[in-house]
Amino acid sequence: MQSKLEKVVAGLKTGPRFLKELREFDNLVKAIGECKSKAEEDRVISQELELLKQRLSDPKLDKSRGKEYMIRLMYCEILGHDASFAYIKALQFASDPNIHTKKAAYLALTQFLDYNDNLVLLLVNTLLLDMKSDNYLIVCTALVAATRLIGADLVNAVYPVAVERLRHPKEHVRKKAIMALHWFGQLDPRRDGPLAGVELDKHFRTMLCDKDPSVMSASLCALHDCIKVDPRPYKNLIPSFTSILKQVSEHRLPKSYDYHRFPAPFIQIKLLKILAALGAGDRAASENMAAVLHQALRRASTSHTIGSAIIYECVRTITTIYPNPQLLAAAAESIATFLRSPSHNLRYVGIDALAGITALNPAAAAEHQVAVLDCLEDPDDTLKLKTLELLYKMTKANNIQVIVDKMMGFLSSCTDEHIRKDIVRKVCDLAERYAPSPAWFVTTISEVFRLGGEHVDEADAHRLVHLIAEQDASLHASAVEAYLELLDGESAVASATEAATATASGTMTRLPRKKLPETILLVICWVLGEFGHLARRPAQAVLARLVGILNVHKAASDRLRGCLLTALAKLAAHTGGATGPVGQALIQPHDGGAGSAAGGAAGQDAADLVHKCLNSQSLELQQRAHELQALLRSTPPVLAAAMPVDASCEEFNPQDLAAVAALPFLEGHVARALAGGAAPYLPPEARGGRTGDGGSKGLRFAAYEPAPYAIPLAAASTSYAATGTYDSRSSSMTGASGPGLAAGASAAAAGVPSASSITEPQLMVKSAGGRKWGPAQYETDYGASASSSQAAPLAAAMVPPPPAAAAAPRSVGAHHSRTGSSASLTGQTASERERLAASLFGGSGSGTTTAVRPTAAAPLPAGQRQLNGNAIATATRPASSYAVPTANPMDLLLDLDVPPPQQQQQQQQRPAGAAAIASGNEASQPAGNWMDSMMAAPAGPMLPAAPLGGISQVGGSAPLGGSFLGPGVPNGPSGGMMYGIQASRPPPQQQPGGMGIAMPAPMGGMMSSLQQPHFVQASGLGGEMGMGMAGGPAGYGAAAPPVQPQAWQQQQLAAGMASGMAAPIWPQQQQQQQRQQQQQQQQQAGRFADPFEDLLS
Amino acid sequence: MIHFVILMSRQGKVRLAKWYSTYNMKERARVVKEITPMILARPLKLCNFLDWKNIKLVYKRYASLYFVCGVDAGDNELITLEIIHEFVEVLDRYFQNVCELDLIFNFHKAYYILDELLVAGELQEPSKKAIHKHIHDQDELVEKAKNGTAEDGQAK
Repeated sequence: MQSKLEKVVAGLKTGPRFLKELREFDNLVKAIGECKSKAEEDRVISQELELLKQRLSDPKLDKSRGKEYMIRLMYCEILGHDASFAYIKALQFASDPNIHTKKAAYLALTQFLDYNDNLVLLLVNTLLLDMKSDNYLIVCTALVAATRLIGADLVNAVYPVAVERLRHPKEHVRKKAIMALHWFGQLDPRRDGPLAGVELDKHFRTMLCDKDPSVMSASLCALHDCIKVDPRPYKNLIPSFTSILKQVSEHRLPKSYDYHRFPAPFIQIKLLKILAALGAGDRAASENMAAVLHQALRRASTSHTIGSAIIYECVRTITTIYPNPQLLAAAAESIATFLRSPSHNLRYVGIDALAGITALNPAAAAEHQVAVLDCLEDPDDTLKLKTLELLYKMTKANNIQVIVDKMMGFLSSCTDEHIRKDIVRKVCDLAERYAPSPAWFVTTISEVFRLGGEHVDEADAHRLVHLIAEQDASLHASAVEAYLELLDGESAVASATEAATATASGTMTRLPRKKLPETILLVICWVLGEFGHLARRPAQAVLARLVGILNVHKAASDRLRGCLLTALAKLAAHTGGATGPVGQALIQPHDGGAGSAAGGAAGQDAADLVHKCLNSQSLELQQRAHELQALLRSTPPVLAAAMPVDASCEEFNPQDLAAVAALPFLEGHVARALAGGAAPYLPPEARGGRTGDGGSKGLRFAAYEPAPYAIPLAAASTSYAATGTYDSRSSSMTGASGPGLAAGASAAAAGVPSASSITEPQLMVKSAGGRKWGPAQYETDYGASASSSQAAPLAAAMVPPPPAAAAAPRSVGAHHSRTGSSASLTGQTASERERLAASLFGGSGSGTTTAVRPTAAAPLPAGQRQLNGNAIATATRPASSYAVPTANPMDLLLDLDVPPPQQQQQQQQRPAGAAAIASGNEASQPAGNWMDSMMAAPAGPMLPAAPLGGISQVGGSAPLGGSFLGPGVPNGPSGGMMYGIQASRPPPQQQPGGMGIAMPAPMGGMMSSLQQPHFVQASGLGGEMGMGMAGGPAGYGAAAPPVQPQAWQQQQLAAGMASGMAAPIWPQQQQQQQRQQQQQQQQQAGRFADPFEDLLS
Repeated sequence: MIHFVILMSRQGKVRLAKWYSTYNMKERARVVKEITPMILARPLKLCNFLDWKNIKLVYKRYASLYFVCGVDAGDNELITLEIIHEFVEVLDRYFQNVCELDLIFNFHKAYYILDELLVAGELQEPSKKAIHKHIHDQDELVEKAKNGTAEDGQAK
C-alpha cells in the first residue's frame, strides 16, 4: 500500500489527466490510506464532513467545484458515514448546467437515495428537463437515474417522456429508454397499479426489431420480465426469439458483440431464459424451439467459462420446457464434462444441472455417482450444499438413511443459520415422507432437535409426539431412555459450565454445547410423563431429571412448567400413586426447604416446584398444581381413571363424548335450582334484544383464543380434530381413519377419563385419527398401531436384506443397510465408496447402469402390518413393520409385462390403496395423483408386478405373513394378506391367491364416510425373483377385530367400488361368498390362522 | 437480476458499491458486514459461489480486489462471473492496466462505466466497443466543458 501511494504521488506530479482536478480529494484518500486504525479513519472522515458541511452551506459556494464535493461526499458514504446533510445540495447540483457537475450529482443521488425517498419529488422536474435535453449524454444520465429514483407514485410523470425517447436517433438513448421502461414495468408487474392500461409491452415488442443489437438485447431484458409474470400473451413471439437465437449462434452479429470468440453470449443466455419461460409445460412451443436449442448446445464449447455458461443455460432450458428425449440425452451428455471438470465452478453448475435432469430422468444420476460422491466429500461447503440439494431431490425410500446421515453430518458442522434452517426443514420433510420405521423416525427427529432444535417447526414436534404415542412399549422405553440421556447430557453440561468458570475444564467436546430448545423439552416432558415408568432407572431418578430441567432452564416459560407439572402427575400416577416414591415427594407439605425423607433432594425440588405453582401468578399453573395434588390425594381407582397408563392413543367414543357434553350429572343440581326459583338457562342467541344489542355494540361473545399451554398435545389434537389430517393434499385420510383397535379403547374403557385438564392431552391424541403423514409420496401406514402392551417387534426382521445382485439403479425398497452409512463415514477406500454409491443410487458402485431391470421395483409403498392380534380384551398389538419399496412409476410401467392371469380376481382384491383410489379420487396416492388415473384402470394387471422383489423376500422370511398395504392405505388397522408367487411370470394356476380383508376399527360414526374406508382390503404380492432369493409360498392372513357391523359394510362398499362395481350396496351374498373364498384361501395357505376369523363370518 | 455489486479490497474495505435493489443505509452496512468475512475467508480453490440468505453471491478476485455480485438464487452463476469479467476488462482498457488505486481515486469513473454495463440489475450493453465509445464521448464532452468551449455542448 505504501509503495502504491508513492506511485500515486509520483503520478500526481507527472499529472495524468484524471488526477489533476481533484487535489483535495486526493489528499483525503491519502490521509485515509495512511490511517493506522479505524478510529483514526473515523476522525479524518468526521473532519472532512465538517469541512464539507461548512463549504456547502457557504452562500459563496464555488459552483465549479461541485463535482469534487459530490465525489468527496460519496467517498465518505462508501466508508460508512452519514452525509445526509448534503442531499439537498446534490439535488441543486443536478440542475447545474455544467455537464460534469450534473453527472456527478446524479451519480451521488443514485447512490444516496432510492425511489422511496421523499426528496426525489424535488428532482422530478430537473429529471424531466434533462430527459428532453438536446445533449444525448445528459438524456442517458437522466434515464439511468430514473431507473433508481422513480417509484410507482411518480411513474406516470416520467413515463411519456421515456416513451418518446424510444424514437431518439442515438441507439444509446433508445437502449437506456428501454431500460427505464423495463424498470417502470417492474414497479407494476401486473399492470394493475399506476401503469394500468399502459401498453408497455407493445413498445418492447417494437424495440425487439430495432436495428441495433444493443437495443434489441435491452428489450430482451424487459420482455423476459413480462414473460416471467405471464407467458401466455407472448407465445406468438417464439418464432422471433428462436430466429434471433439461431442468427446469434450462427455468428451473424457484428464482431464487437463477440466475447472470447463466442457470439454474443449474453444475448444468447437471455434468449435461452426467455425460451425456458415460454416453453415450460407447453408442448407445441417446446417442439418449436427444440432445433435451435440443439444448435445452441452444439455450437457452444467448454473451452471457456462463457461457453460453459451457455451450455449450462441450455441444459436448464431443456429441463424446464416440455421434456424432449433427444434434447435431454444431449443435455445429459454435455453436463458429463462439467462433472468431470477439476473446476469447482463447473462442478457446481454440473450438480445443479444434474438435479434438473434427474427430476425428469432418475437414471441420469446413476451415471455420475462417483462424481457426485466426490462433490459430497469436497471441502467446499457451497458445493456440498448443492450436492445435498441434489440428493434431497433424488431421495427415495431406499437411500433415505444415507442421505439423512449426510445431511445430519453437514448440519452438525454448519454454522450458517439460513442453511441450517433449510437443512432442518429438508430432513424433517424427508423423514416424514420416507421414514423406514417409526424407531428411525423418532431417533432422527430427536437428533434433529438436538442439533438444530431452534429451527424445528412445532408441527414436527406434534408429529413426533403423535408417532411415539402410537408405537409399542419397546419403542416407548427406548424413547424414554434416549430423552433421559439427552437430559443427562444437558445437566452435565450445565454443571460443567458452572464448574468451568472456576476450573476451565475442557472435557465437554462431545456434549451438546447449548441448551435444548423448548420445543423438544415439551416433547420430553410429555414422553417422560407418559412413559417414564418404563425407564430402567428408578422413578425418583426420572423425577430428578424432570425437575432438573428447571435448574438448567431457569427462565422456563409457564407453558413448559405446566407440561412439567402434568408430567410429574402422570409419573406419580403410574408409579404407585400417592404412596409411590414420586407421589410422596409431590404431595409432601412444603416445609420451607428442610430436606425431607421422600425422594431426597429431587423430591424436595419437586415439592418446591409444586408449591411455587400452587401460588403462581399464572392461573393455569395454579390450576394444574391444585389438580395434581387433588388427584394424588384421591383414591387409586380415581387416579387410575384420570391418568390411565399408556392411554394416549385411545379413542373417544363419540357417544360417550356427547353424553359427557350434555353434562347429565348436573341435572339434579339444575332441577333443584329451578325448583328454588332460578331462571332457566337460555343460550345466548335465544336471549333476545338485551344481550343481542350488547353484542352488536362490540362485546365479544365468541371464545377468546385458547391459551397456548396445552400444546404440544392438545394443540396437536385439536388441529387434527379440526382438519382431520395433517396434510391437506392427502385428503383421503380426512378424519376417516379410525386407527384405533377396539382393543386399545376397551382396555382403557374402564375409565374414559373424566376430562380434567391434566389428562386432556392424553385423551385426544388418538382421536386425531390415523397417522397420515407426509406429503403425498409415501404413506407408510402407521395408523393402526393401537396402544397396548403386547409387543411384537418384528420390524427389524421384516426389513429385507439387500438383494445381492440388485445392481440396478432403482432397485428394491428398503434394501439399504447400515453398512452403507458406515461406509460413508470412513468413505475413503474404493470399495466403501462403491457401497455408498450403491446405497445412494441403488446401483453398484462400478456404475453398472445397464443392470438388470429391477424386477424388484415395488412401486407401491407397502406398509406391511401384521396383526399379531389376540384377544380384544387384552388388546392387540399390531407389529408394524415397514417395507419401503421404491415408488417408481417407470418401473411400474415397465414391469407390466407380468401376465395378469388373475385380473378378475385382482379387481376384487385390489390393495386398499387402490381401493381408496377407485372409491374416492381422494386417495392421496403416494406416487402422486397423476399416477392415480394411470393406475385406476389397469390396476389389476399391474398388481402382480407391484411388490415383487424386495417384498418377496419378506414373503419368504416372515412366516407370520404380513399384509402389504397398498399405496395410500388409509390407516386401517388392517389385517392383511400376502401373495406369494413363485416367479415373476407365474402361470396362473401356480399362483395361490388370497385376499385379506382388513378389519374394521372401532371408530365408528365419528368420521366415517363412504369415500374413506377405514378398513382396508389389503393385498400384496410377494414373489420370488430369479435372483436366488427365498421365495415364499403364499402367506396370507386376515385379521380383524370386527366391532361395528356398519363399518364393516362400509368397508365392503369401498371394496366394491374399488372393484368397479356400481352397486352402492354390496349384496349380502357376495359378502358371504367373499368371506368364504377368503377362508378357503386361508386354509390353503395355512399360514396364519387368525383367532378372530370366525368373528367375521 | 443482480441485486448489488460490491468491490472490496482484501482487507475488507469497500471500494465501490452499487445497489440495484432497495437497501437502506443500515441494511447496506449489514450486508457488507456479513458478506465480507464470508468471502475473504474462502480459500482460493473453492468455487466462486456462496449461498447467503435467499440470494447467491458470485465473487471473483482480481489481484487485491474482490468483485462481488449478489444475484437471484436461480440465476446463471457462470454468466454472472462473466459479467464481472467483462466489467474488469472494460475497466482495464479504460485505465490502461487497472489497479486498485485507479479505482480508489477515480471511483466515480468506475461508477460511470458500471452504469454503462448494468442498468436496473440487468446487463444492458453486451458490446465492449459500444461502452468504450460512450465513455470516450463523455470524457470528450467533459474536457470541452472544462475548457469552457462548450458549456452545454453537444458531443458529435
